[in-house]
Amino acid sequence: MIANHLLTWITFIPLLGMLAILLAPATQKALIRGLAVVATAIPLGLSLYLWLTWGAVNGGSAQLQYVERVPWIQAGNFLVQYFVGVDGLSMPLVALTCLLMFIGVFASWNIERGMKGYFALLLLLEVGINGTFVSLDIFLFYVFWEVMLLPMYFLIGIWGGPRKEYAAIKFFLYTLAGSVLMLVAIVALYLITGTFAIASYTEGGQNMPGLLELARTKQITGANLVAGGVLMGVSFQDWMFWFFFIAFAIKVPIFPFHTWLPDAHVEAPTPISVILAGILLKLGGYGMFRIGFPIAPESFEKFRTLLAVLGTINIVYGAYVAMGQTDFKKLVAYSSVSHMGYVLLGAAAMTDWGVKGAVLQMFNHGTSSAMLFLIVGVIYDRAHHRELNGFGGLVTQMPYYGGLTTLGFFAALGLPGLAGFISEALTLLGSFKTYPTLTVISCLGVVMTAAFLLFAFQRVFQGPLNPKYAKLPDISGREVFCQAPFAFLCVLFGVLPTLILDILNPAVKQFLLLFPA
Amino acid sequence: MNLLREELSWITPELCLTLFACVALLVDLFVQKGRESVMVGFFSLMGLLATAFFLYRQYGVTPPAQPVFGCMVVDPFSTLFKLFAVGALAFVVLFTMLSRQTRPDGYGEFYFILLCAGLGAFFLASTYNLLLMYLGLELLSIASYILAGYAKGNRRSGEAAMKYVIFGAVASGVMLYGFTLLYGMTGSIDLTVIGPKLRDQFALDHGTIPISVATGLCLAGFAYKISAAPFHFWTPDVYEGAPTPVTTFLAVASKGAGFAALLRFLQAGFIPDRTLGGPEAMMGYSDKLGTLVAVLAALTMTLGNLAALGQTNLKRMLAYSSIAHAGYVLMGVATMNREGFSSVLFYLVVYYFMNLGAFGVVMYYANTTGDEQIDDLKGLGWRSPLVAITMVAFLVALVGLPPTAGFIGKWFLFTAAVKKGFLWLAVVAGINSAISLFYYFRVARAMWLRPEEEAKYATVHASPAFAALLLVLAVGTVWFGVGFDSLLRYCDYSQNLLR
Repeated sequence: MIANHLLTWITFIPLLGMLAILLAPATQKALIRGLAVVATAIPLGLSLYLWLTWGAVNGGSAQLQYVERVPWIQAGNFLVQYFVGVDGLSMPLVALTCLLMFIGVFASWNIERGMKGYFALLLLLEVGINGTFVSLDIFLFYVFWEVMLLPMYFLIGIWGGPRKEYAAIKFFLYTLAGSVLMLVAIVALYLITGTFAIASYTEGGQNMPGLLELARTKQITGANLVAGGVLMGVSFQDWMFWFFFIAFAIKVPIFPFHTWLPDAHVEAPTPISVILAGILLKLGGYGMFRIGFPIAPESFEKFRTLLAVLGTINIVYGAYVAMGQTDFKKLVAYSSVSHMGYVLLGAAAMTDWGVKGAVLQMFNHGTSSAMLFLIVGVIYDRAHHRELNGFGGLVTQMPYYGGLTTLGFFAALGLPGLAGFISEALTLLGSFKTYPTLTVISCLGVVMTAAFLLFAFQRVFQGPLNPKYAKLPDISGREVFCQAPFAFLCVLFGVLPTLILDILNPAVKQFLLLFPA
Repeated sequence: MNLLREELSWITPELCLTLFACVALLVDLFVQKGRESVMVGFFSLMGLLATAFFLYRQYGVTPPAQPVFGCMVVDPFSTLFKLFAVGALAFVVLFTMLSRQTRPDGYGEFYFILLCAGLGAFFLASTYNLLLMYLGLELLSIASYILAGYAKGNRRSGEAAMKYVIFGAVASGVMLYGFTLLYGMTGSIDLTVIGPKLRDQFALDHGTIPISVATGLCLAGFAYKISAAPFHFWTPDVYEGAPTPVTTFLAVASKGAGFAALLRFLQAGFIPDRTLGGPEAMMGYSDKLGTLVAVLAALTMTLGNLAALGQTNLKRMLAYSSIAHAGYVLMGVATMNREGFSSVLFYLVVYYFMNLGAFGVVMYYANTTGDEQIDDLKGLGWRSPLVAITMVAFLVALVGLPPTAGFIGKWFLFTAAVKKGFLWLAVVAGINSAISLFYYFRVARAMWLRPEEEAKYATVHASPAFAALLLVLAVGTVWFGVGFDSLLRYCDYSQNLLR
């Protein structure tokens, strides 16, 4: 029963957990925490099972696995399906979500005020994220996509820092503005094709082509909606492409839509920053790979140089701005902007290595940025500020913390032997073939990243110890527990990248097949 | 005699409502002072329940081929509207029973007038006869004028009633003038006759100026009733000044009935039967009319939203929001086809739920604190979590986010508009939805994002009855966002039989 509906369980167990938490009395804090742990641990366990049996189940094919498909809303020709499944592209991200949420619960151990609501919203967020990753019906995808917004708004807005209200509504407005464009595109897609299915499926022995199949065979022209498929001098596909792209670009975030991110990160409580950087940004990238690019292959071909330029701007500009930050968290936030640029650059390159590097970068940034934000959280909890220049010499006072930070920083700056190196190197190697100049410029970003991270390390950990912090306790067991999985993954996929590349390979090949050669 | 009995049987719901309106008036005379609210309210509720029962029995029965008494149309379309008018009335009655604003005297009359207004909505939704349509409109309007000024001694309430009367009188006069022109051109007051006659006139190609003048005047009247731009100026003042239960009635039932009449008016008179192939000129005219409505829709939603951004009073903000929503609904009207009208029905049902809920919360808040300022909601979430959680559900639905019914309603409106070729309108509506987030979530921000210590008022728990009402509405709002297929079929079916 569980194996047949594995994805449903992974997605909806947190929802059950949320209901249980809502019913629990607010005074029973231990019970609420326990429920949150259980409700995130079960999906984590199931997703581990998913990962570990992946090779055996899938046998290296690019087919969607664990597919479930039942009609959800059916009235006349209007058919929305509960259509879920995973492939090499989404499965690692589902697993990453489950891990991050599980860790997120432990990282939230200190939350006291309104903790019942906090954990309920956290679990609702997990439902939205996992649902988005597994959806193969575009209507379902959109519903899950939007379900994420509300918990995030409240999590930042209620438990955030001094400017939380501004940050929360900014996050909400930016994302919503993108989503309504996506909604218009989805409406148009439905009217053109009459289907919501992203992937093809068979119904009663008959092959029902999904949206991607229709796009590949050039059946989505929009000619049946507007005369000649051209609207205001712009082809229908181009409209759709940009609508989807902007929606996803805001989430990634791609320059110039990135301004919500530093605000949201700085104001959000640590666990929420971790989830935001670790997973929410990946939804934008995932959306591009799953829907945004293949739905309009010709437009993508037409505009991909522009996308590569945007990706390069992200890498260099993000790193450049990060260099100027004195707020530890803002620095890490801008490093995220920089790192997510690789995803766009690699995708635009359209080479096997480039795309593989981009997808891997999403996963690796998920682990390394989660670690960085946890590191910031540790120091913030103790010193109650994040001013880089206000510290110094902490490595003598907090040696274990210093050690973990070193690992996290090196993973983020792409030191060989750690995970970040593999994905960045793959991306750059892959895109060099297509865009040599842009790749060379992007390499500047790598240098700058190393510079700002090392400079930050120097300011916080080296030099004379600030006497104010001479009594700071070292990192606690719970904090180590939170960071350990990410540290482990950074090392593991740095040393044995094939463990994850074998999963990505078939999916990436399949992805490239969606575009005309 | 048999014929009379049969015809009478079709209007049982109306008869039932009339009867109970009179009963409400009489009961008031016999109950002891101080208990009127409960007793008369109780009898009104019973009446509404009985009416709903008769309406329910009519649903699914093959409707009569000819209008009853030559003017009352009984079809699933009208039944749907009547059912929801009854539902809205029931909530308004319950709100009134739980409210302290309408005290101290004259309870029986209040319910009597409310039920009469409901009767007006019934007639408005179920006739092709221009005269009856006008009578229904006037019954509804005049009752509403009185209701708006019901809080005696309250200056704002008096001002609201006065403004409402003046605007209303002008609008209904203009509309009546439009009706007379139509009568002059076609010699009939029956829309089912007027439609074919107009078609003939189009075929003769006499030019469209007289028809345009008549249509324009009629549309102005409808636009006033549904508070669409540029006839929306009365809305904020009236909504703010009237007692909250009355505002709820105006925003929900009255507006819904206005839309019902508008749909009938357009469908019967101005939409050529495309399968039979009306004259070219008429097709063109119908599309032009649609474009005009589309422009009005864009204007209405944008004006409503932009004005709502600056409001500090909760009721006034909701008034502008209801203008914006009229704009969204007009998107479906602008398509001038069955699918679009179907989406209008769907959205109106959704609109009932979310607005009843939002106004319910306003009433709870105004009742317990006497305050209607958004900023003074500070910390309410921590003090009265249940009310605040339901309010978030209503707000999310009003913005149009999944998984609530507001999203699904907007989805169908968007689909209908894009299908008709109004992609620009869908984009405008999308941007407007994003803007609306800002003012709706100012409420959520005040309720939840401000700490409990900042709360202005001490904890006042909603009474169990009131909490239950809000829960029902919230569950409905979310339920129709997840399991909406039955409602979709119902709306489509109701639309099918709209002749």
